[in-house]
Amino acid sequence: MSYVTIEQVTKGYDNQLVLNNISLTLKKGEFATLLGQSGCGKSTLLRSIAGLEDVDVGRILIDGKDITDLSPRQREVGMVFQSYALFPNMNVFDNIAYGLKMKKVKNLKSKVNNMIDMVDLIGKEESYPHQLSGGQQQRVALARALVMEPKVLLLDEPLSALDAKIRKSLQKELKRIQKELDITTIFVTHDQEEAMTMSDRIFVMNKGQVVQSGSPSEIYTSPVNTFVAKFIGNYNVCNMEVFRKLVRTTELKGNEVAIRPEVLQLVSVGEDSLDLQGNWEIKGFVKDVSMAGNVLRYEVETEECAFHVDYLHHRGEMFEQGARVQILVPKKECIML
Amino acid sequence: MKSSLTFHKLFVGLLVIYLLIPLVGTLLFSIAGKWDHTILPESYTLKWYIELFQDERFYDAFRRTLFLIVISVGLSVVIMLPTIFIITVYFSKWEGLLQAAAMLPYGVPPIVGAVGLIKLYSAGPIQIAGTPWILIGAYFITILPFMYQGIRNSLRTLNAVQLVDAAELLGATKFQAFRTVVFPNIISGILVSTLLSVSLLFSEFAFANLLVGGRFETLQIYLSDKLNSSGHLTSAIVITYYSMILLLTGTVLKLTFRNKRNPVGSK
Ligand SMILES: Nc1ncnc2c1ncn2[C@@H]1O[C@H](COP(=O)(O)OP(=O)(O)OP(=O)(O)O)[C@@H](O)[C@H]1O
Ligand SMILES: [Mg+2]
Repeated sequence: MSYVTIEQVTKGYDNQLVLNNISLTLKKGEFATLLGQSGCGKSTLLRSIAGLEDVDVGRILIDGKDITDLSPRQREVGMVFQSYALFPNMNVFDNIAYGLKMKKVKNLKSKVNNMIDMVDLIGKEESYPHQLSGGQQQRVALARALVMEPKVLLLDEPLSALDAKIRKSLQKELKRIQKELDITTIFVTHDQEEAMTMSDRIFVMNKGQVVQSGSPSEIYTSPVNTFVAKFIGNYNVCNMEVFRKLVRTTELKGNEVAIRPEVLQLVSVGEDSLDLQGNWEIKGFVKDVSMAGNVLRYEVETEECAFHVDYLHHRGEMFEQGARVQILVPKKECIML
Repeated sequence: MKSSLTFHKLFVGLLVIYLLIPLVGTLLFSIAGKWDHTILPESYTLKWYIELFQDERFYDAFRRTLFLIVISVGLSVVIMLPTIFIITVYFSKWEGLLQAAAMLPYGVPPIVGAVGLIKLYSAGPIQIAGTPWILIGAYFITILPFMYQGIRNSLRTLNAVQLVDAAELLGATKFQAFRTVVFPNIISGILVSTLLSVSLLFSEFAFANLLVGGRFETLQIYLSDKLNSSGHLTSAIVITYYSMILLLTGTVLKLTFRNKRNPVGSK
């Protein structure tokens, strides 16, 4: 039984289609991520769920109830905005208490204090938003939404304004709180790594459509098309005709082949112990070596096109720039698209 | 570096002197007794001020000016605040139109405007030419650019649209959102525009003279009338009136600075 249902939602501005027939469902307590490039319609979809935008066509249901025509205040959804949108004239306590005051809830004080405890802001109750760090403001925004016990929590790139380190720790914290409250969450990001670490399910969006949905590992290991392959895993995507020429075979079908950079292996030219049963080999030379954290990334130029090859960085560089190498391509890792 | 700094100081100093000399002269003249062939007055007296403050006409004129200002500025706030809020938040398409309308008064010289207004309102359904009401109408238009800019900028820096979105999602109605979240954050901005408008209208003469003249004697008309009788007295009026403006400007500056110290909006 799905908890959130979005049925064939379509929305356009002027004559440009921003959401193109989007359908998706979420289970209760699920952490779902909308992942896609800037301008693909993620915020618009989120705002439509919140009731801040009207949809042209389609329905939105939460917990079996059609909320398509309800105003934002009747929908029981909470939202955290990218720029937090804290009320500057109120301190932390009053910001968090705002929704409860509007609803005239009793024992407001204990609820707010519990929430302040949960997001680890004890001692900051009296501070005003401009006296807080970005990460603290973010927690206030989260607490302000959560204290209302919404049926669905919407998060529009809540971490994108923070630096990498705080971002990592807030990712963990957000996930902990989400699990603790078992709250159905829709998270928007354009960072695929963030999507991978946080989500139960990912919806990859492109140009107003959901192009693929699935668990992080499903999306990562079996992208359905070139867009997802390139966007998610930095896949090497190679035209099939070119690839057939490179590996001298005719048995492959499809238009393009996608290969993850970390399944490729490099060996020096002239080495014998090659497993040519399970692998194809392609000759080339190392054009560039770069380091991305603990990963060593080679750019290997071949006759026809360049490949990225990723290695875990343990013992310094293995191949120098300009070194002649062979790329071993495991046959079973090639995804035909 | 150093010489250029000296130059700057010198320049600013000269400017200040240039601007202050007439004012100091006026001040001296307003408290001068005998002042014929000396550089500074030979004797000082407060009798011009005493005369001024004993003149009923002065108080009446002052009261009338205050009446005009309070009504026009009050009307402007009451009408423009919701209008600008609704347009910027919900009908941003129409913002250009509103902006153009608000800037229009700059394009029409007072004389031309006044003649047109008299023509229009001395016949037909609304005959208010020669009454204070036509002046209130004209003043409303005169201060429109200030009110518009001030209120719109406050809303912009506040990112009012998003705050209203957030408040609505937390269960507030649009009106509650405006009252609890938007208004408290733009109040000092509104106050600044209001005070600017007030000091502008204090010294307004053209419209007052052309539209109602002696039939509704404002401070400026009283001043121009006294100009013919006694120079000392007019100096006293000018100084009194400058002190008022100074007080107002001081308040404006103070409010502006308070605004800068506590910036609104998180980004
Ligand atoms: N009010 C609007 N009027 C016209 N076009 C709009 C409006 N809001 C959004 N759009 C358009 O809709 C498209 C999707 O916008 P949206 O904000 O949903 O993108 P996004 O996926 O959230 O991007 P980002 O990652 O940059 O936040 C964009 O092309 C944008 O230009
Ligand atoms: Mg967005």
